[in-house]
Amino acid sequence: MRYLLVDRILEWKANETARGIKNVAMTEDFLEFHFPGNPVMPGVLMVEALSQLAGWLTAASSDFKGWFLPETVDKCKFYGFALPGDQVELTVEAVTVEQDRASFKAIGTVMGKKKAVAEFSGAIVPLAEIADVDKERRFFKILTRELSL
Amino acid sequence: MRFLFYDSITRLEKGKAVSGVKAFSLSEEFLRGHFDREALVPGVIFIEAMAQLLGWLVIYTHDFKLSPILTLVEGAHIPPRLRPGFKADIYGEITTTTKRDTLGSAAVFIDGQKIASASRIIYSHFDKIDPDELYRRFCYYSGIKNSETISQ
Repeated sequence: MRYLLVDRILEWKANETARGIKNVAMTEDFLEFHFPGNPVMPGVLMVEALSQLAGWLTAASSDFKGWFLPETVDKCKFYGFALPGDQVELTVEAVTVEQDRASFKAIGTVMGKKKAVAEFSGAIVPLAEIADVDKERRFFKILTRELSL
Repeated sequence: MRFLFYDSITRLEKGKAVSGVKAFSLSEEFLRGHFDREALVPGVIFIEAMAQLLGWLVIYTHDFKLSPILTLVEGAHIPPRLRPGFKADIYGEITTTTKRDTLGSAAVFIDGQKIASASRIIYSHFDKIDPDELYRRFCYYSGIKNSETISQ
């Protein structure tokens, strides 16, 4: 499994908010063991998807100089499951953004129904240290559909 | 990827505590894309590891008659930039448990040093399960052949 939990970015506003999509497919590897005979997207992976969207917002807001990595999850509450075939709409809002730290409030919904809410904070690390910046820039354009083929 | 974040359960105290271990290797599937230039174990994986292990203690405490569903995690601290290549010791404790729900806490250590923790983990319980099947899965997942031998 590729650990990429955001499929599409619908809109974003620098240092403020981003909205994205995670589609849950029956082919997802994690569904085999979560749970046997009852495939549901693990709530913790919804938190990961929200955190990755916060990463994309941080990258896009800093001309791809920074990426967000979570250090503290103050709270995450799960209201229901996202099932295979569901489209999870992810929304993150920046609460505080400093040079090397940020905190976010985030929510995951399916068809308008709340499935998970999370509040987390962490470090902004230099993107170039952990990833190929040009590749990430191009991938962001794929996520936002800015790239014409 | 098998969504299991412990390799074995090493201690179980009914209604009280659980210990387990997980080795994190460079071949973990979740490192594909996380990231290209530096392999970093995603911090939230530790939340899942703590929740899975404590979940088995809930099941064991209630004699395999129910299954816990994670509903809330509060006060979780996770490492943002940890490279694989270590063995993690995972501990979980039950604070209170009833037939309906459980409150507990958990922590993860590497070489005795705490690297992750969650101060409140709450599960609601689901009882439409097959206890025999759940017990078989427990034996396979935990590496424990006879749960009575390590219970106290």
